Amino acid sequence: MGKIEWAMWANEQALASGLILLTGGIVGVAGQFRDWQFAAYGVAAGVFVCLLEYPRGRRAKGTSVERTGQYCLTVCVKAFGPVTRNYYVRALLHAALCVPGAFMLPTVLGCVCLAIASLIYLLAAIRGEQWLPILPKPETAERPSESIREPPKNPPPRPPADQRRKRLEDVEGSSYVNPIPVTVNE
Amino acid sequence: MPGRGRMAVSWRSWTANEGAKHIVMVLWLAANAGLFWKTFALYYYGPQYYYLHRMLGLGLCLSRASAAVLNLNCCLVLLPMCRAVLAVLRGSQKVTSQRARRLLDKSKSFHVACGVAICIFSVVHVSAHLANVYSFSLRYSEEFPSLNVARHKGEDPRVIIFTTVPGVTGVVLVFILFFMFTASSYGIRVSSYEVFWYTHNLFIVFYVVLLVHVAGGALKYQTNVEDHPPGCLRPNATPAGGSDSVCQAEPQFQAHFPQTWLWVSGPLCLYCAERLYRYVRSCGLVHVETVVLHPCRVVEVRMLKSGFTARPGQYIILNCPSVSSFESHPFTLTTCPTGARAAFGIHVRVVGDWTERFAEQLLSDDAADAEILPVVQRRRFPKMYVDGPFGSSSEDVFSYEVSLCVAGGIGVTPFASVLRALTEDWQQYKLRRLYFVWVCRELGSFYWFAELLCNLHQKLWQENRPDYLNIQLYLSQADGLQHLLEKRFEALNARLHGGRPRWPSLFEDIAKANRNKRVGVFCCGPRGLSRALRKLCNSQRSPGATFEYNKESFS
Repeated sequence: MGKIEWAMWANEQALASGLILLTGGIVGVAGQFRDWQFAAYGVAAGVFVCLLEYPRGRRAKGTSVERTGQYCLTVCVKAFGPVTRNYYVRALLHAALCVPGAFMLPTVLGCVCLAIASLIYLLAAIRGEQWLPILPKPETAERPSESIREPPKNPPPRPPADQRRKRLEDVEGSSYVNPIPVTVNE
Repeated sequence: MPGRGRMAVSWRSWTANEGAKHIVMVLWLAANAGLFWKTFALYYYGPQYYYLHRMLGLGLCLSRASAAVLNLNCCLVLLPMCRAVLAVLRGSQKVTSQRARRLLDKSKSFHVACGVAICIFSVVHVSAHLANVYSFSLRYSEEFPSLNVARHKGEDPRVIIFTTVPGVTGVVLVFILFFMFTASSYGIRVSSYEVFWYTHNLFIVFYVVLLVHVAGGALKYQTNVEDHPPGCLRPNATPAGGSDSVCQAEPQFQAHFPQTWLWVSGPLCLYCAERLYRYVRSCGLVHVETVVLHPCRVVEVRMLKSGFTARPGQYIILNCPSVSSFESHPFTLTTCPTGARAAFGIHVRVVGDWTERFAEQLLSDDAADAEILPVVQRRRFPKMYVDGPFGSSSEDVFSYEVSLCVAGGIGVTPFASVLRALTEDWQQYKLRRLYFVWVCRELGSFYWFAELLCNLHQKLWQENRPDYLNIQLYLSQADGLQHLLEKRFEALNARLHGGRPRWPSLFEDIAKANRNKRVGVFCCGPRGLSRALRKLCNSQRSPGATFEYNKESFS
């Protein structure tokens, strides 16, 4: 169990808890039950948690799978810098957000689920994980690989043809020295 | 350039590929909708629920209707997971036609669909019951005290929930479902499979608590509707007008027999029986015969187990307690036991921490260089348990006359056992022509089965069937084709290409060479590959061949 990224699971749980809190809040407000103000709070808190948790963080190792359309929210969440990057802050935030939900029945379930997510975030923070945004990498210009595509820069190590032609009148003068030393193939 | 018309979906190909699956989906949706509507109408109009409906309102009908749908889906969700039963169904040629067997490939998708339905209808059910709790509290009935769940008028709804059996068990069920659902997304399964597996095994707790939840008897129906028609008047009450009859008796209320027990107990017993059978079957001792280290981090393990038989294309689930006591992993068999040789083998790619530790324990310390030499057999290999074999779609390669097998990297393992079976005796099968396309990233990967491919190719040439096997190997890295395979695999070198295969032209060639035939397409590889192939299978036009798509799925 050594390399589990707990933050990924905590993120799924927090998103689900946000939805449960939102649903409970809607039921409470629609039914106009007693203490329905807590249900209205549940709606607001649920929406906030969903927006915060929708952009998935980048995995430390391996490929990260984005959620559909999360780019805009990634940019927003990234803009808050260390507040959203640190998981201790998130754990505390979720723990604080879930407390008012306990006062009314429809939001109790969302409250407990958010508390569980907060605990898993605490575990992730203790293990030193951080939220890093998934952003598309800038395109590097395509460079052809070195080996075969480049034309050779130097001519082969021999002088031009007319000089190479053996001049029988002048055998001494027709010998030449290779400009680049030629080695034998081992 | 192929025009846009060529890629349009061909109706005949679409129905051959996707038709059966969509019919099953429509039937399932119809069953859910029908059950929801029938139960809703029963509680809305039924006279035995008149007083309860008056107290609770719409919440009663919604909660009971969604409970009925939940019954159906909790029953169906277990059935696709009975792997041994599915393997038997797949293997029995007489019982199922080939079209039905292709439906069995979709069992995991059906399980996911039922799971999603359970989650959605649980939300409806819980919301409706939350409203019901408030109604029980606010509309506490002095007239019919046995109908009440609250103890007095205006009782705090939270107290009602947490002090009644259905309430507490309902809350526990919500939390279990919350854990199971949040750990089942694709991202979690891909990154940390253990979290998914351990939380998903909470399902047994879910079912036990569910059986207690429905026995609570909170909602009651009226038993004596003939004696006391709902809305009738008390004997001493003044008639308000109209023709209401006079009551002859007080209404009697009784809780339902928990219908869920009937729905759920069958599949639950079947599943538990199957797990027990699999456990007993996997208790047999497994002896490791040889361990071979192949290039590109692949380890081949050959094992012996008494009484083990398997068909080509099946897979096993391996459990090694010294690596991890609870984790089990599926591996396709690359060598099936035959009459001559009883050993069976798997190829394990070392890619995660379980496989790393498994490989470490199998290989000795001084096998650091990656030569293909059998490691000297040690006396103490780790103890292993093998569960299986289970069926997969690759078993159907032999039931087509023409098959196209596309493998991506280690996805070649199901086809390795198929090729081995062909090497033993290719004439007994219905298969007449096999197109084998293998796409890898590194050249060394081809060495896993280079010898097998060359042997089969050689044998078919010598037996005068050169058109039986068409091999195409692709090295997908653009600049990878700097070296070739060793000299003795000359036949493979001649069929080695650089870059990715061009699927439309390959499909066109196959269609032209096999007119009016059904070609089975089998793919085991990354998602992008299978998606591209499925699209092509659906878009082929007649009078070429019809391509039927079969896909492996593991995670």
